[in-house]
Amino acid sequence: MGFSFDYLLQGFATALTFQNLFWALVGCFIGTLVGVLPGIGPVSGIAILLPLTTVLPPTSAIIMMAAIYYGAMYGGSTTAIVVNIPGEASSVPTAIDGYEMAKQGKAGPALAISAISSFVAGTLSVIALTFFAPMLAEFAVVFGPPEYFALMFMGLSLVISLSGRALLKGLISMALGLGAALIGQDPLTGAARLTFGTVTLNAGVDFISVIVGLFAISEVMINVEQRITAISELEISNWMPTWADIKQCGWTMIRATGVGFFLGLLPGCAPSVTTFVAYDLEKRLSKHPERFGKGAIEGVAAPEAANNATSTSGFIPLFAFGLPTAPSMAVLLGGLMMYGLQPGPMLFQQNPQFVWAVIASMYIGNVMLLILNLPLVGMWAKICKIPFYILGPMIVFCAMVGTYSIRFQPFDVWVMLLFGVLGYFMRKLGFPVAPMVLASVLAQMLETALGQSLLISQGSPLIFFTRPISAVFMALALLSIGRGIWAQVRAKAPEIALEDPD
Amino acid sequence: MKTQRAADITAGCLVALIGIFVLSASTWISEAGVHRLSPRTFPYVVGCLLLLCGAGLALKTWSLRGEDPAIAWPDREGVRTIVVSLVSLAGYIALMNPLGLPLSTFLYLTFAIWYLNRSRWWMALTIGLITGGISYVLFIRLLGLSFPAGFLFEG
Repeated sequence: MGFSFDYLLQGFATALTFQNLFWALVGCFIGTLVGVLPGIGPVSGIAILLPLTTVLPPTSAIIMMAAIYYGAMYGGSTTAIVVNIPGEASSVPTAIDGYEMAKQGKAGPALAISAISSFVAGTLSVIALTFFAPMLAEFAVVFGPPEYFALMFMGLSLVISLSGRALLKGLISMALGLGAALIGQDPLTGAARLTFGTVTLNAGVDFISVIVGLFAISEVMINVEQRITAISELEISNWMPTWADIKQCGWTMIRATGVGFFLGLLPGCAPSVTTFVAYDLEKRLSKHPERFGKGAIEGVAAPEAANNATSTSGFIPLFAFGLPTAPSMAVLLGGLMMYGLQPGPMLFQQNPQFVWAVIASMYIGNVMLLILNLPLVGMWAKICKIPFYILGPMIVFCAMVGTYSIRFQPFDVWVMLLFGVLGYFMRKLGFPVAPMVLASVLAQMLETALGQSLLISQGSPLIFFTRPISAVFMALALLSIGRGIWAQVRAKAPEIALEDPD
Repeated sequence: MKTQRAADITAGCLVALIGIFVLSASTWISEAGVHRLSPRTFPYVVGCLLLLCGAGLALKTWSLRGEDPAIAWPDREGVRTIVVSLVSLAGYIALMNPLGLPLSTFLYLTFAIWYLNRSRWWMALTIGLITGGISYVLFIRLLGLSFPAGFLFEG
């Protein structure tokens, strides 16, 4: 997969034709809509539209599909910030600080910084994709199950910092999330676990139901109880972030892009993991970590940049090896194969015009998304001013549509309701909810990687410490855990969650 | 559970009990072969974590003395509003399959908006009607998602 300026220029020439520009614009628009609307994530959005694109030439069709994918990543943050509904696990860290900003009358700056950091991360990632793809593709191949397990274990150790001063409560929240994810069939053996003989529980608990319940439904309950008139009763003074805000987020965006991009190369390392890692990194590096969870603008910029960087870097293993790193990538792979294009090293030799046109269109798509999204900031931010007696039931409607559409079974919506009530009590009693989300997202990947690793090592856990990459991740995780426990032992204070329950 | 201390001790004991329940439920899971990660391993870990952390929270809170803030529980009116909102949501879920998305959405939104703002029933009715209609056109007709259409729109 060699880089050539000639190919890139030819790619731009193809991507800049009127037809391809038009379909990229359509894709960006539909993608943003898919991200904002409940019930259709990027996977179903692309899957629904895939058959409709058969009338288009392959290049235009894939340009449009890719635009839908990264457009959805832009749009997904909107509901998380404005109404605290993270439709995807990757939007959870955005909701933590974004929604706090919205409540403080800063929904506009939060949405705008989300669009700007998405643009910066998207563009930097496409540049990296253009110039360093061959080297980076090799990086993805050296990752085996032990490295994945160590990475996921490190991800789980983020619970320590997400818990603030309430380590025990954070660990309980994490254990409950893990427990919820274990219900159903064991991923390796298929054995039924914690199902108590019921068929419905065999299918397991989907983490989207957990997330929507914990965030959206419990938020509605809190607001209903307090009889608030609108999410933000403050006058919205600024629609855009100040230069100081953008400057403050500059390095955050670059760091989060790096985290999202490199971790995004790994199959299975979805934005749901990278956004948490980027958020945690920013909190640790910040001079004022106490602002995180209370409306820190870097808390919005970091996960949004990581999200978009991960989405872009996922194209490297897809093009280079035909390896989809996320469900949406698997649908895109299906799209490529539908047009008779076989991803892998030969794709670059046999169809260079196609690959470079798609890469060039990503540069253009990012600019289009910024132009599309920034003027809409005011419109989305005004949602915070809608009277809550209308907005509250509408949030429930969106949550209902979103969770029902996971498997089109009422069971998922009952789970959402149950976790909504649980989330309400957790917030009242000062239990952090983010560790529960993180654990429910990571549980299955963690267990699968552990099972596969132990099969390779014939049952020896030393495999995680004898392979250099996994040893580094394990050391970082253990350091983080040790530091957290030490801080707790020294503090001797009551358990107070970092996330303010109100 | 009026104060944080009482709530933490109660919650800790409850979590420890859940841990014991998970541990006992894990013994019913079938075992795997040699060198395989047993399907029981993670449930056991979760059960132990819940038991230890729950007991730890209860004991730690019990042993600490000092400021004990009150928990901001809702007043009687707040409790009633939450209960009615939750019951109406449960009704919405229960009616989804028999009545379909458009009609159950219409009924839920009309009731919930009217209940939260008793004065403007006509506005609740209009929003319910429009959203129910949009849900049918957008999710069922245009996007072709497998939501139940209900007896009004089937056939």
